[in-house]
Parts: sequence; structure tokens; C-alpha cells
Amino acid sequence: MLVYIVRRLFQLIPTFIGATMLAFLISQLVPGDFLTTKALEPNVRPETIERMRAQFGLDQPMAVQYVRWMRNLVQGNLGQSFVSNQPVINRIARPMRNSMYLALLSILMLWLVAVPMGVYSAVRQYSLGDQVVSMFSYFGLAIPNFFFAQVLILLIFVTRTFTKEAFGFNQLLFPVAGMTSGNHLDMNAWGRFWDIMWHMFIPSFVVATAGMAGFTRVLRAQMVEYMGSDFIRTAKAKGLGQRSVTYKHALRPAIIPFVAGIGGLLPDLVGGAGLVEVTMSWPGITPAFLEALNSQDIYIVLGLIVITTILLMIGNLLSDLLLAVVDPRIRYN
Amino acid sequence: MADDPNRKHQYEQEQDTDATIDATAQQVDNVLIDLNSAGPVASGASKSQGKIIWEQFAQHKSAMVGGVVLILMYLTAVFAGFLAPYGMNEYRRSPTAAFRPPTQVHWINPETGRLTRPFVYDVVESRDPVTRQRVYEEDTSTVYPIKFFVRRPSQPYKILGLFRSDLRLFGVDDPARIFLWGTNNLGKDVFTRVLYGGQVSLTVGLLAVWVALFLGLLLGGLAGFYGGFIDDLIMRLVEIFAAIPGLFLLIVLASLLRDPRNPLAQAFGLQMDSAQTYLLIVFVLGLVGWGGLARIIRGFILSARELDYAQAAKALGASESRVLWRHLLPSTASYVIVSITLAIPGYILGETSLSFLGLGPSEVDTSSWGLLLRDATSRGISIQFVPWLLIPGIPIFLAVLCWNLLGDGLRDAFDPRKRR
Repeated sequence: MLVYIVRRLFQLIPTFIGATMLAFLISQLVPGDFLTTKALEPNVRPETIERMRAQFGLDQPMAVQYVRWMRNLVQGNLGQSFVSNQPVINRIARPMRNSMYLALLSILMLWLVAVPMGVYSAVRQYSLGDQVVSMFSYFGLAIPNFFFAQVLILLIFVTRTFTKEAFGFNQLLFPVAGMTSGNHLDMNAWGRFWDIMWHMFIPSFVVATAGMAGFTRVLRAQMVEYMGSDFIRTAKAKGLGQRSVTYKHALRPAIIPFVAGIGGLLPDLVGGAGLVEVTMSWPGITPAFLEALNSQDIYIVLGLIVITTILLMIGNLLSDLLLAVVDPRIRYN
Repeated sequence: MADDPNRKHQYEQEQDTDATIDATAQQVDNVLIDLNSAGPVASGASKSQGKIIWEQFAQHKSAMVGGVVLILMYLTAVFAGFLAPYGMNEYRRSPTAAFRPPTQVHWINPETGRLTRPFVYDVVESRDPVTRQRVYEEDTSTVYPIKFFVRRPSQPYKILGLFRSDLRLFGVDDPARIFLWGTNNLGKDVFTRVLYGGQVSLTVGLLAVWVALFLGLLLGGLAGFYGGFIDDLIMRLVEIFAAIPGLFLLIVLASLLRDPRNPLAQAFGLQMDSAQTYLLIVFVLGLVGWGGLARIIRGFILSARELDYAQAAKALGASESRVLWRHLLPSTASYVIVSITLAIPGYILGETSLSFLGLGPSEVDTSSWGLLLRDATSRGISIQFVPWLLIPGIPIFLAVLCWNLLGDGLRDAFDPRKRR
């Protein structure tokens, strides 16, 4: 096992170099650099510009810039943000953390809802419930995340209008933007936690719905396959109850690919909820990425890409290892 | 070694795959021939594979519905000019008609109380003196009946870029306006722009999938066929593309390439008009998405090149490229058709996402569903006052849903194990 892990880690090196090279190459498409805009400011002297250019190595050829950046990267230094003049790592840590909260909650929701749904529709194949589940998963598959978020925001407003007229309750059920309430800082730790959870609910729900489709469909197919197999018949024949057969014998092997998929969730954790974050003004990684791109802060863009890339690769590796751990049929030797 | 039981077992398994793959190849050849002529034929002696597949597909109700809805959607996109009452970018400068709610269509004559031909009233806009909200009131003094097949010479359009016309399906006389789905911040008709938006949002995916398919077939085919060093090289490339999160890659490529100041655009003197931006999005989506297809095709070729029919072709003296292009790649067709159909909705979502972020076609001269949803997020707009701006999300949902249904239906129809 250890040998396998080490070998896989070594195999990751060329991919990593290739991916960073690609990212770096793309970043060279940025028209000029941030100093071109800075040079237009009247109170910045040309010497300052030249000094900064040399400092960031922007006067060097591309290959030299790449090697310099890579050497720093290996030492754990992602470089300086051009715009704010802070280390990149400081600028991206917070959005990454925020995105991670969102992803964690949505994964939790996904599992809590999708597993029972998948099991149900496999056990009651072709029943009305199965069809409803299938419709629901198609819905989640087809609705664009950002649109779904917008629709939910509208629904929240409509609900307020309704409750205001009916009960005089003039409050939003869920916050429609941001991560914290205005009085967040005045709350105690517990209050802050719930405040964030409350803000997180809608975006996490949207993200979870999108993942639901694939999850239930695959789980259903897996379950159906196992439910028809010999060992299930044996289990039934020796008199086990339906519940025990379903959950202990059929679900366990059926869930294997999902357990292995946990490793694949790692990049999701930092990759963020994508456009949902933009729609709901969640201060996560995607808005940070867009903002950095807008202000041509190349090292932040590169930093975000590199970190997510590393996590994606580690995640894939973890998936394979987990698969070997949970599935006794797979041996890596 | 030859007596090794495991080995024998493996051999049998291979034989088994042989049979399936040969059958698929056959099946695909027949599909290619029969797809046009096939219909629900009364079953006679023996059915061709194409007929069987068509019958299987026809039984798949949801897939059929998906297919029909898609055909309708593409038709509305083609005839957008005719169906839409206004030009894509038509708006009135004064008085502007910004954020108009959907125009109410009346069916009852107010004087007689009887059913009459549909008509609308002109709308007068004012501001609530206290809340400063826009207030719209119907000016009931004049009735403007909805006219059908009206000519509007001021706003000509072209169908498929070929046929010029100014005939519109319906419209009302000036100064009244008919906004079935309201207007956006500039006073452009949302209904019109949704129809025109389909021309971009529905076709980008169709074209992008060909870019991805071209790259996937070429590189996946080469990797699977030659193996060894070429295989390693190409598969590393796929991994590299897969290692960078897709959304970021999409955003960064689209945003940098469409900037006219980027070094590439400078080198080629590109100005990025709407057509070029459109092609750019197609290209970027294809570039980000080819890896998956390449992987599928490589795996398939890798197993198929050892099969009897490939060996036979080689033994008959066919050149390597002939074996690859004439025998192996066509045998991937059923997989490819299904993969493509299931990939298109992803590209549609990709385009709408980019447009939603403002990285797609520009508002000035094009329309796209993502761009229309962007209107709803502009600064200072609260969705509760302009809910009709969310309507453009519905066609996105429909298109993605129907492509998925169609793809699932095709997959089941091609799969012999799912015969019903």
C-alpha cells in the first residue's frame, strides 16, 4: 500500500508541473500587467514602476518568471498580491474558508437526503415515489445553480409579502445575500455560528440539489443491481427482515463508490459553489477569483488555480486509496 | 502458461467482449444507414439493428417528449425574427419603457362585457411620490387590438442569415406596446430577447461539442491506437486539463481571450465583434471539455484494436490509418452519439454561466439567456419588484432537461441489455 501511495505521488509530479505551466501560460494572456494601469496614475513615478517591475520579475522572459514563481511555490510562497501588496496566501485564505463551510453543509445535506431517496427508489422500483424521486433528480440536474438561487430569493420575498399580509410577520425567512447579519459582531460565539448557518442554508441547499441527481441515480442503479443478486436472495431465504436486508446487505456494497467519492469532494470543498456564491454574494472563492481576474491580480488568480489543482489531485488520490480500503476486492500491489 | 485456468477464463471473457463490440459495430453501421428511413414498421421476418434501436427509442416516452420539445425550441430560435414582436435591440428612448411588467392582454370588451379579439392598453408610467417606486397605469381611453401578421419595415430581420423580411407574427399599433414577458432595465422586450437568445444559447453547445468531439476523436483515437509513448503523452495532457477546476479554466480563458488587448488578439488583429466572441465561447467550451470524450474513445479503441475485425483488416493489408479511421473510429459511434447528447447540456450551462458573469456575448448586439438573467442581478435591482426578469431561466432549464432526457433515451436504446 505504502509503495503504491509513494508511486502515485511521484506520478502526480508531471501532471502538477504541466498544470501549473498551463495556468502560467494562460496568465500570460493578461493584457500588459497591473503595472500598466498603475503607470497611468499621475502620482506614481516611473522609477517606482521600474522598481516594482524588477521586484516581481516582470521584466524577465516568461520562462524565467515561471521558474522563479515555481521555486517560490515549492517553498510554500504563492507570491505577493499586486493590488493589495499582501502575500497571496493571506488574501485567499478567507474566501477558501468561507467556500469550505458552504461545501461542507451542502455535502451533509446531499448525503442526508440522497441516500434515503436512492434506497427508496431502488426498493420501490417504478412506484409513484420512485418516479417522483426521478423527476426531482432531473430537476436538480437541469436547473442552473444561479437561476435556482435567484428563484429561491424571489420565493423568500414572496413569502414575506404573504406572511406580512396574513400574520403581520415582516421578516425574511432566510437571508438572501452575504454571510453574516449586520449585528454579527455583537453576537456571542453560539449566535455567530447560527447566524452563519442561517445564511448558509439556501446556497448549500442549491448546491446540494445539483449533486442530488447524479447521486440518487447511481445509487438507485447500484442498489437495483445488488437487490437482484444471489447473496440478497440468500439473506432473504434465511429469514432476515426487509430492513436488515436493504440496509445491511444491499446498501453497504452499493454505497462503496460514494465512499470512495469522498476524496473527490475535496476539490469541491475549495472549488466552491461556483455561481451560487456570486448570486447570493457569498464571500467565497469564485467571487474572489472573478475580482482578482478583473483587477488583473495574476498571482492571486494563479494561487487560486494552483491550490484547487493540488487539492483536486490529492482528492483523486484519496478516492483511489479509500476505494481500496472499503472494497476488499481491490488490491493495489 | 497456456494451461493456466485464469488465463483461459480471461480468454473467454475477451471472446465475450468481442461479440458485444462486433454487435455494436454492426448496429452502428445499420443505424447510420437506417436512421433516415427507419420508422415504426410492422415487424416482419427479422428487423435490422437500426429498426430495433428506433423502436426501443420510440418506446422511451420521456426521451421522445424531450426530442419533440427540443425540435420546437430550435424552430423558435430559427424563426425568432418572425415570432418576436420587436427587434432584438429595439427600445424607445423617450418615453423609455424600463422595467415594465408583462403587458396585460384583455379579452373582454369593457363596454359590452363580451368576449372580443384580444387587445391591450397603452401604459402610463409615474413614480409613487412616497416610495419612489415605478407605478404603471393603463390608459383605458384607447383600445389597441393585437394585430396578426403585421409588417414593421423599420425593424427588418433575417432568417438563418438568408431570408430578409419584416413580417411579424403579432404586434400592436404605436404608441402602445406589447411586452408579453415585461422589459429589462433598458426597456427591451424580454420575450423578444428570449427568442433571440435561443439563437446563441441553444447553438453554442451544439457547435462546442463538435470542437470537443474533433479533439477527442483525434487525440483519443491516436492514444488508443498507437499506445506507448503517444498514449502516455496524450493522457498526461488530458490529466493536466482535468486537474484545473473546470469553472476557473472556463472563466479565465473566456475573460482573458475576449479582451481585445490580450497578446493573441493583438497578434492576429482581432477586434472581437459579436460573431468572434460567439466563436471564442464555442472554442473555449470545446477546449475545456474534450478530455472526457478523449478518454472514452481511447478506452474503446484500446480494446477494439485487438479484436478480430481490426486484425482482419490489418491482415488484408489495410494501412494503419485506414484501420483507425474506417474500422475502429466508426465502431465508437454509438458511444459517441450518447456521450455527445449528454455533453451538450453541460455546454449550454457553460455558455449561460459565462454570459451570466458577463464574459459571454455582449449585451449591446446579442442576446443570450444567461445575459438576460444577468439583468436581474444588476446593481440596485431587487428581484421582488421585477420577477419577470427570471423568465429567461425557464428555457435554459427546459433545454438542459430535454437534452438529458434525449441522451438517456438514446443510451438505453443503444444498450442491448436494456431491451424491452
